[in-house]
Amino acid sequence: MTWIQYLAPLLKGAQITIVISLASIALGGIIAFVAGIARISSNPILSGIAFTYIALFRGTPLLVQLFWFYYALPLIGISFDPITTGIMTLSLLTGAFGAEVVRGALLAVPPAQHEAARALNFSKSYTLWHISMPQAIIEMMPAFGNLAIQNLKDTALVSLISIADLTFQAQSLRNITLDSATVYTLTLLGYFIIALFLMFIMRFIEMKLRRGAAFPRDAHS
Amino acid sequence: MHKTLCYGIAALALAVGMGGASALTLDEVKSAGYVQGATANEVPYGYMKEDGTAAGIGPDVAIAVFKRMGINEVNWTVTPFGTLIPGLKARRFAFAAAEQNISPERCKQVTFTEPNSSYGEGLLVKKGNPKKLTTYADIAKDPSLKVAVVSGANNIDFLRAVGVKDNQIIIIQANADALSTVQTRADAYAATELTVSKLAEGGKDVEQVKPFTDPVVNGKPVRNYGGFAFRPEDKDLYDAFNKALVEFRKTDDYKKILTSYGLSEESIKAAAAKNVADLCAGK
Repeated sequence: MTWIQYLAPLLKGAQITIVISLASIALGGIIAFVAGIARISSNPILSGIAFTYIALFRGTPLLVQLFWFYYALPLIGISFDPITTGIMTLSLLTGAFGAEVVRGALLAVPPAQHEAARALNFSKSYTLWHISMPQAIIEMMPAFGNLAIQNLKDTALVSLISIADLTFQAQSLRNITLDSATVYTLTLLGYFIIALFLMFIMRFIEMKLRRGAAFPRDAHS
Repeated sequence: MHKTLCYGIAALALAVGMGGASALTLDEVKSAGYVQGATANEVPYGYMKEDGTAAGIGPDVAIAVFKRMGINEVNWTVTPFGTLIPGLKARRFAFAAAEQNISPERCKQVTFTEPNSSYGEGLLVKKGNPKKLTTYADIAKDPSLKVAVVSGANNIDFLRAVGVKDNQIIIIQANADALSTVQTRADAYAATELTVSKLAEGGKDVEQVKPFTDPVVNGKPVRNYGGFAFRPEDKDLYDAFNKALVEFRKTDDYKKILTSYGLSEESIKAAAAKNVADLCAGK
């Protein structure tokens, strides 16, 4: 087998990696906003739940979380297929880290603006969505870009719960060909190319946000 | 906030205490038209070919036996060797076909079929066998030697039984790691005879120790008997499969599969001569 013949199985694996990565970044993003906003809510129950969730998922290793959802949870009768387990666990992890990014960026909005909003009799949710969020979301983007790439790399662990992703295909190929050097080099390249695309997408979103109507172009330069 | 955390942990503890799911029956498998099987990535016992289909002694025999039972499709999952039994218990698949050695410890967790194959042990070393190893006990004699084994495989038990210390053992995740490990971090790789011979064929700088003396444990040379693992609660499916397997073992098709993967005539005879009840009892 030559390296050209390695490409077909590796590309098949790359497709799965891309699907899992994009799905868990999108889902993780939503979770990040929900948990991040809940975390700074004045309601102690909401912020308590968000705190517990963030602490649990930030404080435990992804690999153990995956094994727990995949091998331990079914023992009590709750079972998801491997792809769902993978996307769910990655989303929850990315969401936990993202929630802190959301919280940090929202808290960075100068308090004077909240006072001004209150003086103008804006409601809490109007202040959040029309005053704080449009400014905070741009501050979140570089950190979200980091998280997206971290998420892509973390997907390699799903190969251990029998998902045929890029890493899984690489392991299978090595097992047949015993050609570790070529297989791993191609696999690294594969991840790097996907990561470049992710960086590009995140930059694109950031640029779009910066050009929003509420933002004169020089506001954050 | 601490209160919330306490409630969360309490809910988790409650959830863990709840009961499991019901058994999978032969009729359910028949009406579904397929069965979910698992194998580990280990040539030649069971592995995934580059086109995504399963091959090896375990998968090939399992496919043939299920065909005889009227089930024409097996969906294969490849999972690390050490997660075969956890995955089976977590109902990720209906059976494991990786020629796992039928040992009393594993029998406590899963139900094994009658033996499907038998095999001895082997050692993979650097070309020229610089440390002059001939059996596992040679490693125990020199505490500076290191030996690699795959996580979850039983070779570690034989190594310990002949006196190899835990700090001499390097755990690796897959057989594919053995080649680079033997050339760098370990002096030898302990695995079954067939695994070692397949690896020695593929690697230029390594060789299989020949002649090799099988380790002697409890007064007799060890021999492994590989079988298929099922969940104890799926008795109906297990019984049907086991019966069909015993029938299939009498055919030439069965011998053809095993010899095509390098198993000797003696090993095939030895497998048929043992029964699973004795193996589980440690006899």
